Amino acid sequence: MNTTDFPWLTTAILFPIVAALAIPFIPDKDGKTVRWYSLVVGLIDFVILVYAFYTQYDMSNPGLQLVESYTWVETLGLRWSVGADGLSMPLILLTGFISTLAILASWPVTLKPKLFYFLMLAMYGGQLGVFAVQDMLLFFLMWELELIPVYLLLSIWGGKKRLYAATKFILYTAGGSLFILLAGLAMAFYGDTVTFDMREIINKDFPLRFQLIAYAGFLIAYGVKLPIFPLHTWLPDAHGEATAPVHMLLAGILLKMGGYALIRMNLEMLPDAHVYFAPILVILGVVNIIYAALTSFAQRSLKRKIAYSSISHMGFVLIGMASFTDLGLSGAMLQMVSHGLIGASLFFLVGATYDRTHTLILDEMGGVGRKMPKIFAMFTTCSMASLALPGMSGFVAELMVFVGFATSDAYSLTFKVIVVILAAVGVILTPIYLLSMLREIFYGPENKELVEHEILIDAEPREVFVIACLLIPIIGIGFYPKLVTQIYDAKTIAVTAELRDSLFTLAEQQTRSRPLALQPMQAPSLQ
Amino acid sequence: MEPMYEYAWIIPVLPLAGAMIIGLGLLSFNKAINQVRKGSAVFIVSLLGAAMVISFALLWSQIQGHPPYTQMFEWAAAGDFRLKMGYTVDHLTAMMLVIVTTVAFFVMIYTDGYMAHDPGYVRFYAYLSLFSSSMLGLVVSPNLVQVYVFWELVGMCSYLLIGFWYDRKAAADACQKAFVTNRVGDFGLLLGMLALFWATGTFEFEAMGERLADLVESGALSAGLAALFAILVFLGPVAKSAQVPLHVWLPDAMEGPTPISALIHAATMVAAGVFLIARMYPVFEHVPTATNVIAWTGAVTAFIGATTAVTQNDIKKGLAYSTMSQLGYMVMAMGVGAYSAGLFHLMTHAYFKAMLFLGSGSVIHGMEAVVGHDPALAQDMRLMGGLRKYMPVTAITFLIGTLAICGIPPFAGFWSKDEILGATFIANPALWAIGWLTAGITAFYMFRMYFNTFEGGFRGTDTEIQKQLKLAQMQKMGLSLGPGAMNPQELTLDAELDHDAHNDHDGHGNHHHSSEPHESPVSMTLPLVALAVPSMLIGLLGTPFANYFEAFIHPPSEVIEGIPSEVDWSEFLPMAGSSVGVGLIGISLAVLMYLSRKIDPAALAQQIKPLYNLSLNKWYFDDIYEVVFVQGSRRLARQVLEVDLRIVDGIVNLAGFVTLVTGEALKYLETGRAQFYVLIVFGAVLGLVLISGITG
Repeated sequence: MNTTDFPWLTTAILFPIVAALAIPFIPDKDGKTVRWYSLVVGLIDFVILVYAFYTQYDMSNPGLQLVESYTWVETLGLRWSVGADGLSMPLILLTGFISTLAILASWPVTLKPKLFYFLMLAMYGGQLGVFAVQDMLLFFLMWELELIPVYLLLSIWGGKKRLYAATKFILYTAGGSLFILLAGLAMAFYGDTVTFDMREIINKDFPLRFQLIAYAGFLIAYGVKLPIFPLHTWLPDAHGEATAPVHMLLAGILLKMGGYALIRMNLEMLPDAHVYFAPILVILGVVNIIYAALTSFAQRSLKRKIAYSSISHMGFVLIGMASFTDLGLSGAMLQMVSHGLIGASLFFLVGATYDRTHTLILDEMGGVGRKMPKIFAMFTTCSMASLALPGMSGFVAELMVFVGFATSDAYSLTFKVIVVILAAVGVILTPIYLLSMLREIFYGPENKELVEHEILIDAEPREVFVIACLLIPIIGIGFYPKLVTQIYDAKTIAVTAELRDSLFTLAEQQTRSRPLALQPMQAPSLQ
Repeated sequence: MEPMYEYAWIIPVLPLAGAMIIGLGLLSFNKAINQVRKGSAVFIVSLLGAAMVISFALLWSQIQGHPPYTQMFEWAAAGDFRLKMGYTVDHLTAMMLVIVTTVAFFVMIYTDGYMAHDPGYVRFYAYLSLFSSSMLGLVVSPNLVQVYVFWELVGMCSYLLIGFWYDRKAAADACQKAFVTNRVGDFGLLLGMLALFWATGTFEFEAMGERLADLVESGALSAGLAALFAILVFLGPVAKSAQVPLHVWLPDAMEGPTPISALIHAATMVAAGVFLIARMYPVFEHVPTATNVIAWTGAVTAFIGATTAVTQNDIKKGLAYSTMSQLGYMVMAMGVGAYSAGLFHLMTHAYFKAMLFLGSGSVIHGMEAVVGHDPALAQDMRLMGGLRKYMPVTAITFLIGTLAICGIPPFAGFWSKDEILGATFIANPALWAIGWLTAGITAFYMFRMYFNTFEGGFRGTDTEIQKQLKLAQMQKMGLSLGPGAMNPQELTLDAELDHDAHNDHDGHGNHHHSSEPHESPVSMTLPLVALAVPSMLIGLLGTPFANYFEAFIHPPSEVIEGIPSEVDWSEFLPMAGSSVGVGLIGISLAVLMYLSRKIDPAALAQQIKPLYNLSLNKWYFDDIYEVVFVQGSRRLARQVLEVDLRIVDGIVNLAGFVTLVTGEALKYLETGRAQFYVLIVFGAVLGLVLISGITG
């Protein structure tokens, strides 16, 4: 068999979905067979991905690799076209990794196990699809497809307010995706040729006004997903109600779809508009960081606290994207990967804690550290990762964003100074809410009521294993960030080069003709 | 010698490996590891011992004149940006390596005795090893980013170790306070680092200094901006070295076990700030505004620390304020350009302060036999007294440390402090006056501490004082109740609980108290004796007659040939005389008040009530911060949450398309067919695609 021609990505996307279709026919009484079955499917798929990455993917190539393209619906011009470049590959690998671990994290799920694992596997494939497809229409379909399992997972296995949360989630996301459809179709039909192929759309030459409108549309859609203030309010509800494995997927992968799509479409396809929107992205990023950190601090519910912390961390992705530097964009990508790992680990631990305390309200906890030292230790480690402790991935990502933005020549000095200072305030706020959380759960004298009514057993080996799996890459990246950055470096450099091209062309036009309303470019005062 | 340098990276890696192995062992085979307590301890101590041996070899080779050695590798890269990490060994590094490894080594031996009955014995060793690794990584760092990395890591270790007894509420609060306060400093350090990188395009210390000087000279960068950058960087040391106004975490950090107070919060980590100023010296020396700020911060800290220490009754808190005060001296020295004097004091202070803290630990250990495992009782000097009879080794070593810190010749502290004061006098007599006065106060409070603890009669069995102290402690807990803490009604109960919990936690009961304290085991007294040697003698390395120290450690921009030995007697004698004089006045005062009881301290306190209260309440820093920052940030956070719930969520929920479909959604929600609704949405969207596809 010629491994080069083998449809690796298609296989990886379809295998879990096909395997999921077989679940109803598996004889299973207590749900134990199904979970092992799903775990094995997840593992095989992850191995396929890793093998494909290892043998077929060339890290120095900025272009699309592992490409497959088949005509699907000819009259529509719809093609099944998948591929991976530096933007997709790290996130595809992350998806395989987190989804497999999420299945392992679902062990305690006892309600309707068959349906649950069916949905988990369906989501596995759907998420891979979002990152891999290279066709606008197909992207939209995948984007929508992955909503349904999430909706069901939320509304059947969620907490008390699960229906409200699930509906809010679906309305926000589906509402947002209408904008993808509109903007996507407009871009496909613009000009002489009609094409849904993303690579051809990139080459189209859109006028500025068109770009700005399309950019705004995408921004709303992806802003819901990432999420960006003020479109974030679905997230605390959805995260507050989800069970741990769904949580891991939501925080670990779904949020990254927003960031991925922003880079893929807004930055790559609409670079001129990005020049105008970049300052807005930066401001939104700063608002995300500080606003969400403060709300997180005030939250009394554990899940909502961590949910808001995710929003806060995504602010760095926005700032990195808008920095017009290699380092900033690289930092944004790394922040996505890093938060995927850290967010998943924190949410898993929140789930593990909830399984024991049966409460999410911090005031009802306290002093459980003595009964559950391992969970305490793991929770502390993951919180440290989340508050960007050096030696772990979050620090590297945030540092890259900071240095990238600080050295950017696209903004005036004053703007940069204000943004960097405000973003750095987030550096103070993050430990405040995370350490307060740890203190309220684990430290201090034991909460009598809790200890008497709940059985607080320490972490079981499965849980230690899940966290260890997540911590290895977190610490690995922290020690040697090139492990991950080299996967996408060639691509982010190419994207940044395009963006800077647009930046300088527009800046030149500005100096010659009348100044535009938004003035993104200002000569650096010191070089 | 070359292979030794090539493998110098192993110094921080050895203790890291130890911490990792033991840490993973604790997570996976908790029971088994906890059973081989001694084995784990010996393993970790011997790894650190190996690191110590290599450090001494490196120091020796540096003294022999080996050129500085730097090894780098590419750590992160994006586009044309390259960030390197690695390690460097020069004079300063070699000295710091030796200080850190020796103090850590003795503290680890001491730990065996001090923590013998603690169930967290092995975990404690793992943390200690992790800390040593981070601290060693910090001192070998070749650039500012790497310093920042390890800077944060030592902060984390400090957090873990302060909160080591995590079921004590005070420890829980203290560790968070330490971390957050340090983050405030790191915020400045991060900004300063970014700004300097923006201006100079490098993270290397010397290149940074050179380019900054060029930029300021050519006018491309205003002097004010350069000063701002330097001061931002200096915020890092302000927090880490407990300088005013970010010093508030250090006294609270004493909630950690005493070996930690000795190693981290006296000898090594807190000195990291001074070390960073030394490393950044090439930058600071071109920015006079910044050095002025540094010098004044140091002087003010020295003074506030000393004046607060005067009224402390908790032996560890008293030592903590004294550490803060001594760090103030070092920072002031750096500020006035007395580079090698500041680092000399860092070295002497590391040894004698580590010994003093270990001595206080020994005292507490002895007191616990009488009053039980309650920090409020075992650490309070009002219950001590006359301990010299019971614990002679501790008393003698403590006295040596006290003499050293008071600056009595020929003990170590005299030479270093005198050098600082001499340099300060030349730079700015006002600063010198503060330093001089502080020296007197230092002598007073240190001897007050020594007399209260070791002389007079033993008061530990006085139940009346015990009761009073318990009551005061409970009141204090009541005052420090914040939102989210316990309810006042539970207070009494909780205090009792806390007490009981500790007794079974430590495996000791209140019931078998002895009536006399006892001397600590050999594993504790041996490090005391070992540290007493450098506390007495190490100062002789830096006498004005033959300053070997300055010949070895001097600013990178200075060239020093031979051993500086020109003694100007007309300068040295008045300086040394005045500082010894003021020290003796302080000591005499302490003798009159606490030894011979000629003056009644309580009556004196009544006479200067406002000043006394100012000192007792630590200059009200904690109270002001509590109101302004702690409660302020809580209020702000709650308000933002309100906005989020009511306004942002409200508006978005109502806005746009949601209003159109909410009614529909609710209808389906009520019939329980929301899933069906989703399918409809999806179907409609799909249809739209098809239609637009065909019409297009």
